[in-house]
Formats: sequence, C-alpha cells, structure tokens
Amino acid sequence: MSTRKTPGEEFNDPYLWDGSGEPDPEVQRLEKSLAVFRHRGEAPTFPIVFPAAETRPFFPALQNLWPRRFAAFAAMAACTAAILFLVMRPVPSVAPRPGWEVTRLEGAPLVGKHSIQVVGAKAKLEVGELLVTNSTSSATVTVAEIGEIQVDPGTRVRLLQTMHDRKRISLEEGTIHAAIWAPPGEFVVDTPSATAVDLGCAYTLHVSPDGSGLLRTTLGWVGFHSNGHDSFIPAGAVCPTHRTLGPGTPYFEDATEPFRTALAELDFGSLTPESRTATLQIVLSEARKDDALSLWHLLSRTQAADRERVFRRFSTLVPPPSGVTREGILRLDQRQLDLWWNALDLGDISIWRFWEQTPDRAMPSSAQSLQKKQAVPKQAR
Amino acid sequence: MATPLKLQLSFADRGAVNPGASRDCSDEELVHAAQAGNRAAFGHLYERHAGMVHGILLSRVPPTAVEDLVQDVFVRAMPHIHSLREADHFGGWIAAIARNRAVDFFRESRSPTDQLDDEPQNEPASRGGSTADRAEAHAILEAIRSLPDSYRETLILRLVEGMTGPEIAARTGLTHGSVRVNLHRGMQRLRQALNLGGSGPSAEKL
Repeated sequence: MSTRKTPGEEFNDPYLWDGSGEPDPEVQRLEKSLAVFRHRGEAPTFPIVFPAAETRPFFPALQNLWPRRFAAFAAMAACTAAILFLVMRPVPSVAPRPGWEVTRLEGAPLVGKHSIQVVGAKAKLEVGELLVTNSTSSATVTVAEIGEIQVDPGTRVRLLQTMHDRKRISLEEGTIHAAIWAPPGEFVVDTPSATAVDLGCAYTLHVSPDGSGLLRTTLGWVGFHSNGHDSFIPAGAVCPTHRTLGPGTPYFEDATEPFRTALAELDFGSLTPESRTATLQIVLSEARKDDALSLWHLLSRTQAADRERVFRRFSTLVPPPSGVTREGILRLDQRQLDLWWNALDLGDISIWRFWEQTPDRAMPSSAQSLQKKQAVPKQAR
Repeated sequence: MATPLKLQLSFADRGAVNPGASRDCSDEELVHAAQAGNRAAFGHLYERHAGMVHGILLSRVPPTAVEDLVQDVFVRAMPHIHSLREADHFGGWIAAIARNRAVDFFRESRSPTDQLDDEPQNEPASRGGSTADRAEAHAILEAIRSLPDSYRETLILRLVEGMTGPEIAARTGLTHGSVRVNLHRGMQRLRQALNLGGSGPSAEKL
C-alpha cells in the first residue's frame, strides 16, 4: 500500500503540520502574536474543588435524628418544585426551524415545495423537507458549518436532523458528493440499505432506484453500517450495498477484474457451498497487498474452513501484529480484529468503536417518522 | 522477551516509586486510576489535556472567560468519569464536554450584552506585550473565530496552543487526514481574511 497516495497528501505543508521543514514566516508570525492567548493555568487542586465521595451530609444532626422524615421531606419538596416548574414554565416562542442553505447549480431543483430557478439563487432546506433534482438540475448544500454536499441530477435527499453534534440526511435515490470536515461520526447519511458514517473527509454516494448503492471514498475513510454489519471504506476504495443484504465487501478500485467479480459473487451471488469455496479461491489467489482491505472484511464474513483460508492468505499479506493469534481471529475476537485492522494503517478503528458507543448514534424516532415519508409517491420527480 | 518495566507498573506503582513518573502513564492508565478515585491521576489528565480544552473553548467563547471555563469543564467531567467506557478515549470525551460547555456558556448569557467583554484592554497585564501587540493578536483571533467551526478549532490548537497536527489528531480523535485538511484550508481562509499573500514577505501586512 506504499504506492497509494495517503489521505490528505495533497495538503502537504510540513511546517504547518508538525513544525518540521522550512519555517513558514507567516505561520511563525501568527504563532508569535497568538502566544498571548496560550493556556497557562495551573491544575486546580481537585481534592478541594471536587469533594470526596464520602463527604458529610449537609445537615448531619437532622439526618441522624429523623433520617426517614428528612428523606420524605426532600422528596416532597422535589416533587413540588417539579410540578411548579411544569405548570409555570414559560411557553417557548416559535423559533425558526433549523435548516441548511441550498444553492442552485443548474436547472430548477425543488426545495420542499419551492423550486429555485435563478442562477446562484439560494433556498433553505428545513428538517423533514426533500431536496429533489430532476435530470437537468443540480445543487449544492451547505451542511451547517461542517461541510458541503453536491447533489447530482436525478437525486432525492431529505434532511432528517441538524444538531450541533449530529447531522443526518436520507439519500433516497441519486448521487451526492460530500466533503465533510467535522469530527468523525458527526455527519450520517441513511440509504435504503445502509447508513454511511463520515469518519473524515470526502466521498461519493449513489443509490439506485432499486435501493442498492455504491460508496466511493476520495479522502479519509467512511463507515458503512447496517444491522451490525460494518464495512470501512478508505480513500481509493469503493463498497457496494444491496437493498436487502446491506453493505458488501469494500475493495480498492485498482483490484483485478477477476478479484472484483469474485468478490461481488461472494457478497451478493447465489452460490452453492462448493462454488463459494471456488470463488473464494479466486479472491485469495488474485489478492495483492492492497487487497488486504477486502480480506480483513472477509474474515468475519466467512465460515470456519473458509475463514481459516482467508486467515492464512491475509497473514502472508499483513503479518498479524503482537496480540493477534490464529485462534483469536477464527473465533472473531473483536479486539484482535481491531488490532489487525489498525496494522493496515487505513484509519484508527477505535474512532468507529467510539462512535458505536455514542448513545444517540441510532436514528432518532423523529427522524424515523420523517424517513417513513419515503413511502409517499414520488410526485415531485 | 521481557515486558519493559514501564509497562509492568500501574499508575499507583509508578507514583509510589517516583511521583513524577506517574505523568508518563497513558491516558488509559490515568483514567483507570481516576475512576478508582485517584485525584492525582485526574490532575495529570488535566495537565495533559487542558491546553486542548483551552483551545476548543477559545475558538468559541470570549478569551476572558476561557480560563475559568477550562477548570469548569474538568470539574464537571470528574464526577462522570465512571461513564467513560473506553479509557483511552479521554481526549475525545473531554473535547466533547468542552464543546458542550461552550454552547451552555451562550445559553446562560441572556443577551449579547451579558457576554463578557473581550476587548484587548481587558486582558490581564501579566499576559505581557504592548497594547498594539494585544490589539493585533485580538484581530487575528477574531479572524480565526470567523471561520467555520472545524477550521477555527484546529487552527487555534495549532497556532495558539502550539500543538502539532499529529497531537491534535491524537487528542481530539480526528483523523490525520481531517486535521491536515482543516489546517490547510483553514490557513487558506485565514490568509484571505487577513488579506495575506501566502508567502513570507506578506507577513508584514499582519
């Protein structure tokens, strides 16, 4: 994989990146001027600012005398306060609905019920609304402050959620090109068959009328997720997704034709056990060092005997790092699989595990109800 | 092969042998120690990540409010450290708390006039430099703060807090690619905002 252009290589600027190379006088001048704002605070004494767990009660004498009455009194006071708050809280005024700015590129894209017809004209795509482009129109969408999406002709995109740490759209059909510079996991795209999670930075996502799709990453890497089935797509790789089967195995686009064909058969073909083994043999024999990306995914998508064969071939391409054993991989030990993924140097998988832990990563119920509108006849097309 | 001694000793062991050595512990070790009630470990986490938290806050709230908010972020985080399941993700976790604290700061300010005045003359004298220098620094900071979130945060961590790109990636959980792009595009936008030429001699325009 050493010949592949690493993500962000075109943004090479050694001094700005890590202070190495020839100093950039402008950057140095900025550093010098801004040093006045640098953090200088000493660590607070945490035992003082944060009391110990065994702190004394506020009213020890009272608590010792009437512990149950004290607790009952506190509970009653809390209930009274809660009721008063609910009854007397001010009714919030109607705030403008959040939305993203849409700019017409060509034709007359539809934003909600309105079309943009003037060159360079803008409209606001509000939560729940559809952006529809026909065969002669296209648009760009500014994703809050974290990126930009170009919407190709023949596309239907619905804005599901826009919060400060979570942006979510649904791509019902068509093609988008997303360039996102938010922290990993903040920008999510639902498609009929899988959910694409931006892990930084740029990718193209296409959804066909039958609900299948293709994700192509151009910078950084993207996670493709459906019902516990995960695919990771680094720059230069693509991943197909099937309406009912979900994400397939990602592969680099310069893989050999027999490799790609055999991989598609493994993912979505109707194979007998014998033909499946034969097809897997094509994948393994055609695999180059770069194709370790695909083989890593196949480890968890093959059964016992086939998994052993994938393990052996994968080991010859990328030796297992310390802590990774044959036994561990064959029983799909996640920690060991993660260690081996990180040895590919295609992205730190702990970022993905961190995203998986975030409590609101699943589609919120409000967004689900919005997405159900996909069933509505596509009268706008 | 024998495991290096450093890896065999826990936070408490190392602290017992040499109080300074516990600073060498990984985030994971420090978090485990803090979760077990060791406040010195939490102090070390503070020392290690306060600069990043400071930078994240500085990219969002007035400079005069930042130092207090840095401590506030850690004080708020400490009671919840048990909820951090991936101990080596402390950086991303505390960064998220800092961003939320910045949002809360503006929610707490009932009107723009409630917000703290961050004019240069209100900077502590201990910061040093002439009034003109401080005014220039404020002008640059304002230009950075006018950029999109991700650019301004990454640029401030690099230019103000002196972190390198790899350090920013490791501490915030961003990928190297994202940080690289944010730095590059952010500098481009900053140069435009400050009307710089993008090469050495134009630095005189600052």
